[in-house]
Amino acid sequence: MHRVLTTCCFCACGCNLYLEVEDGRITGVIPSREHPITRGNLCLKGWHSYEFIHHRDRLQSPLIRRHGRFVKASWDEALDLVTARLLEIRDKYGAESLGVLSSAKCTNEENYLLMKLTRAVLKTNNIDHCARLCHSPSVIGLNNAFGSGAMTNSIAELAGAEVILVTGSNTTEQHPQIARFIFDALAKGARLIVVDPRRIPLSRFAHVYLQPRLGTDVIWLNGMMKMILDDGLADDTFIKMRTENFEAFTEMLRNFNIEDVVTISGIRLEDLRRAARMYASVKRAMIIYSMGITQHISGTDNVQSIANLAMLTGHVEQEWTGVGPLRGQNNVQGACDMGALPGTLSGYQNIADANIREKFENVWKTHLPTVPGLTGIGMFRSAGDKKVRGMFIMGENPALSHPDLRSTRAALKGMEFLAVSDIFLTETAELADVVLPAASFAEKDGTVTSTERRIQRLRKAISPVGESKPDWQILCELSSRMGYPMDYETPAEIMEEIAFLTPIYGGAYYNRLEHGWGLFWPCPNSHHPGTPFLHKGSFARGRGRFEYVRYRPPAEVPDDRFPFFLTTGRIYAHWHTGSMTRRVTALSREGPEAFVEINPKDAKTIGVRDGKPVRVFSRRGDITVKARLTRDVPEKTVFIPFHFAEAPANILTHYHCDPGADIPEFKVCAVRVESVQ
Amino acid sequence: MLGKLILNKEHLSSFLRKIAKEHELIAPVRNRYGDTLLEVVSSVDDISLDLEARPVMPPKGFFLPRVETLFRYQRKDGHYSFKEVLPNVSRVFFGLRSCDLWAILFLDVVFQENLKDRYYLNRRSDTVLINIGCREPMENCFCKSAKSGPFLTQGYDLQFTDLGDRFFVEIGRPRGRELVEKWDYFFRPATSGDRDEQYEIVLEAESKFGQKVDFETAISRFMRYEIDDDLWEELGNRCQNCGGCAYVCPTCHCFDMMDRPVSDTEGERVRTHDACTLAGFTRLAGGHNPRRERGHRLRRRFYHKLPFAQDKYHRPSCVGCGRCVEICFGRVDMIHVIRMVCKKPEGPREASLRLGEILLDAGLISWKELKSTLEKQAGTGKRLGAQLIEDGLATKEEIASALSIQLGIPETEETG
Repeated sequence: MHRVLTTCCFCACGCNLYLEVEDGRITGVIPSREHPITRGNLCLKGWHSYEFIHHRDRLQSPLIRRHGRFVKASWDEALDLVTARLLEIRDKYGAESLGVLSSAKCTNEENYLLMKLTRAVLKTNNIDHCARLCHSPSVIGLNNAFGSGAMTNSIAELAGAEVILVTGSNTTEQHPQIARFIFDALAKGARLIVVDPRRIPLSRFAHVYLQPRLGTDVIWLNGMMKMILDDGLADDTFIKMRTENFEAFTEMLRNFNIEDVVTISGIRLEDLRRAARMYASVKRAMIIYSMGITQHISGTDNVQSIANLAMLTGHVEQEWTGVGPLRGQNNVQGACDMGALPGTLSGYQNIADANIREKFENVWKTHLPTVPGLTGIGMFRSAGDKKVRGMFIMGENPALSHPDLRSTRAALKGMEFLAVSDIFLTETAELADVVLPAASFAEKDGTVTSTERRIQRLRKAISPVGESKPDWQILCELSSRMGYPMDYETPAEIMEEIAFLTPIYGGAYYNRLEHGWGLFWPCPNSHHPGTPFLHKGSFARGRGRFEYVRYRPPAEVPDDRFPFFLTTGRIYAHWHTGSMTRRVTALSREGPEAFVEINPKDAKTIGVRDGKPVRVFSRRGDITVKARLTRDVPEKTVFIPFHFAEAPANILTHYHCDPGADIPEFKVCAVRVESVQ
Repeated sequence: MLGKLILNKEHLSSFLRKIAKEHELIAPVRNRYGDTLLEVVSSVDDISLDLEARPVMPPKGFFLPRVETLFRYQRKDGHYSFKEVLPNVSRVFFGLRSCDLWAILFLDVVFQENLKDRYYLNRRSDTVLINIGCREPMENCFCKSAKSGPFLTQGYDLQFTDLGDRFFVEIGRPRGRELVEKWDYFFRPATSGDRDEQYEIVLEAESKFGQKVDFETAISRFMRYEIDDDLWEELGNRCQNCGGCAYVCPTCHCFDMMDRPVSDTEGERVRTHDACTLAGFTRLAGGHNPRRERGHRLRRRFYHKLPFAQDKYHRPSCVGCGRCVEICFGRVDMIHVIRMVCKKPEGPREASLRLGEILLDAGLISWKELKSTLEKQAGTGKRLGAQLIEDGLATKEEIASALSIQLGIPETEETG
C-alpha cells in the first residue's frame, strides 16, 4: 500500500489529502494535518472522494452514436470523427458556429490547452465554463472596483478578523473548511453578521442575523452604507488616499430612501443599524459572499455594492480584512485564470488588446480571433449567423446545470455535432455524438487553484481507468489531428508555457509547488513568494472605484398564478449535478432524493405534510418532489437543490441574466406549489 | 531474561531491520510533506521515524480497513457462488502511542464479545504491539484523564521509554518476550538507576498535561439524565456532519455493509467505516429517522462513548488521543462536550460577560471599555450595568434599549 498526496476534487477550499493505493485501486483517503486549510479533517464529501473513481459506471472507452445508439469505438475513430465534424462545421458556417465549454473540474493545464485549442486552432473565442453560472459577476464587479476579481485575502486570515459578514453563502455546508475558520474567529471573540433569506445553520451563531427578501441585496447594502455615512463611521483617510468617484457616489447615496430597507427588503432599521455599526466600527472586518449575491440579474451590481461597503469603511488592502467571493469548484478560480472565458486569455489578458494578442501569437505561431466570443449562456441562445452548431464540452453538464432545461436541452439536441469528454455518461454526454472517456483527478498530474488563489498540485495516484485518458492528452491528440501539433510530454511542460505567457502565474513552476503547500498568485517570477492578500498599499487598478448602484427588482416575481418565490442551491452531501457524489454510497445515503423546503404555514395552505410529494410549477415546466417542512425558509419562499436529475430544479428556472456578467438568475423565480394526491 | 531492559538507541535501526525481515513492520513515519502517518516500513533506512507527533490516523484501519472486501460472488447458470476473502498478515507495530495501543485492546473486546469477527481476528491474531510512552503530551492530549496513558501498566507486548541516548524496554505479553529473546544481543538488563530514571520520566510526563477532562462527573450526569436538550441542540448546530470524529477515532468501529456489483454477473460484499453522526446511519428503510435532528444523533454518540461504554466495558470508549479535538469543525469534540456537560450554572461573572456582549453588539461600548469595566467591577463587586452607568459609559436607558432589542424583552427598571 502506498499513499499519494493530492488536492481534493470537490470544492474550492483546496484541501490536500492522501489517496491510499492498494493493487492499483484507491481504497481510502487521509486528510493532511500539516496543510494549512485541511488541518487534519475533511468534509463528508472529501472523506468519500475516492469511491466514485472505481464505480462501474465509469466510461471505459470512447463512444460514437450510430443510428441513435452509442457503440464502443477506438480512440482513433472517435478523435478522427470529432476532428472531421468540428472542422467541417467551421468550414461550412465559419468559426463562430463553434462553441466550447471548458471545465472548472479540470486542471489549469487542461483549461489552458482547451483555451489555446479553441482560439489558435478552431479560431473562435466562443469558450466559457461554469464560472459563468457562479462568479462571473465577481470577476467583473470586483475587477471594476478593485482591479482583480478574486478573494482579496487568504482563508486563514478569517480567523483573525474582528467582524465577519457572511451573505449569500451557506458556508458550513458549501465551504466547511472556511466555516471552520469562522468558528475559530468566533472562539476568539469575533462578531458574526449573517444576511441570508434562508435561515442557514451559521445564522444561529450570528450576533446579528438579517433576513432580507430574495433579490433585495442592493437595498440593504445601500441602507447599511447610508447609516455608516450618517454615523460618521466611514474611513475618510482611506477614501481620500485610495479611492475615486466618492463624491458622485455619496451624492446618490444621500438620496437613497432609508425606508426602502423596510418596505423592499423587509429588514428592520434597528437591526440593520446594529450590523452597520458592528461592521464599520472595527479595524479588521471580512465580507464573505457566494451565489446568493451573484446569481441574480443584478449580480454585478450586488458585487459592486459589496466592494463599495468595504471601501467606505477601509476594510480592504490589509491582512485579516477584505472581500471574499467563495468560489465553488476545485478549479473554478484556475479555469478563469487560464482564460477559459470569451474575452480574456490566461491571466485576464484582454483578447481585444492587439499587444496582448501579439504576445500570444508569437509563442503560439498563429493568428488569433479578435472579437470576444459568446458566453456559456449565449451559446445556447445563439441564432441566425451567430448560431452555434457544433460544440466540444469538457467535463461540464449543462443539461442539468443550466437554467430552463427544456430550452437548454433543445439547444444541445439541435447541435449538428456535440462531443463531450467526461468520466461518466452525464445527462449532457447522453445527448452527444461522440463521448470521450476522461481520467479522474486521481489518475493524472496537474495543478488546480483554490478559492484563495492558492495554486496546488494534483498528483497521479493510479493509471487511468479502462481506456480513459487525461483531458490534456485528449486535447493534445485532437489538436495534432486538426493540423496544430501539441507535443507536451507532461503537464509540467504545459505549466512552463503558462508561466511564460501569464504574469500572475509567472513563478508557478512545478518544482516550487512540490513543497510548502502551493503558491498564491500573483506570483510573477520564480523568486517571488506569492501573494496571500491583494491590493497591499494600492488597489490593483490604482484607485478603488466607488460606483453607486440602483436597485432593480428580480426578473420574475410572484403573482397570482405563481405565488411563491423559488430559490435554488446545493446541499452538503452532494456536488453540483451529482455525477460523482450520487455514485458514492455514504453521500447518496445522506442525500438520497430531491426535496423542496416549504415553510410550515405555507404547507398548511397548500395542504401538504412533511415527506409527502408536491408538484412545483413555473412558467417553464414542473417537477414533483417531496416536501420538507422547515422554518428555515420564510413564508412564500421555497428552496430546491439542483443536484437531482430525476427532479431537476432547473426545469423551473429561467434564462434572464445579469446584463454585464450574463449569469442567470438561479436564485429567484416564481412558482406554484400543489400537493399531489 | 528479566522484565526490564535497555536498548541503546544506536541499535534501534538494526533491531527494526531484523523485525522487518520477518514481519510487516508498521511505524509512525514523517513524510516529506511533514505529515506523520502509520506506514508499512519496507526499508528502515529510507524513513524518518517520528516518535513525537500523533499519527494523523489511528491504527484501527489496519484491523478494520476503511474498505474491506468480505467475499466475492458470481452468478452462473442461475446459481450464485461465493468466495470468502480472509486476510492473513503477520505484523509488528512499533512506536504506537499508548492511547492508540489501548484502543486496540478495546476493539479486541468489541470484536469478540458476541460473535467472533474472523476478519478482525485474522488481522489481529499475529500482531505484536510495541508502544512508546509519551514524554511530552501534545496540545489536545488527555489520555491521563482517560486512564490510557501516557504510559501503560499492562496490555502492551513491549513498552519503550525514551531515556535520551537509550530506550528503557518493558516486556508485557509473551509476543514481546519472543521478539526480545530472538534478538537478545541488542538488549541489556536495566539497572536500578535506569529504573529510577524511567520512573521520574513517567511522573514528569503525567504532570505535563494541560487538558484535564472530568470523565467521572460527565458520566454520572449522563447516567442521571441531567443533561438539558438545549445542549444537544446547540451542539447539533455546531456539528457540520463531516463524520471526521468517527473516522479518526481509534475506538469508533461502526461499519456499513453493501454489495458492490463489478459486472452484471459478479460483485463483492464490502464493509466500510461508518459514522453515527450521519443522518443515513439511523434512517430506517421506510424513510423514518428516529434520530432525525443532528443534535439527537450527537446525543446518541456521546451516550454511546461515555455512559453506555462505562456500563458495558467499565470504561469510556474514549482513550483521550485528542484527534477529534484537533479536527472538529465546530468544537463538538470530547473535551468541549464533557466541559459543557460538566459546566456549572451561570454565575454573576458570566452574566456580566453576556450583558457586555449585548452592549458591544449594540455599539454602546467598545471592547476596551468593556474590558476595563470588567476589571474594575471585579474590585468593586458592583453589577456591570451599574458600573458602566457610574463611569458614564452608558445611560440606564441605553442599556435597557439594547437589552430589549437583543433579547426581545420589554424595557424595565431592572437592568444589568
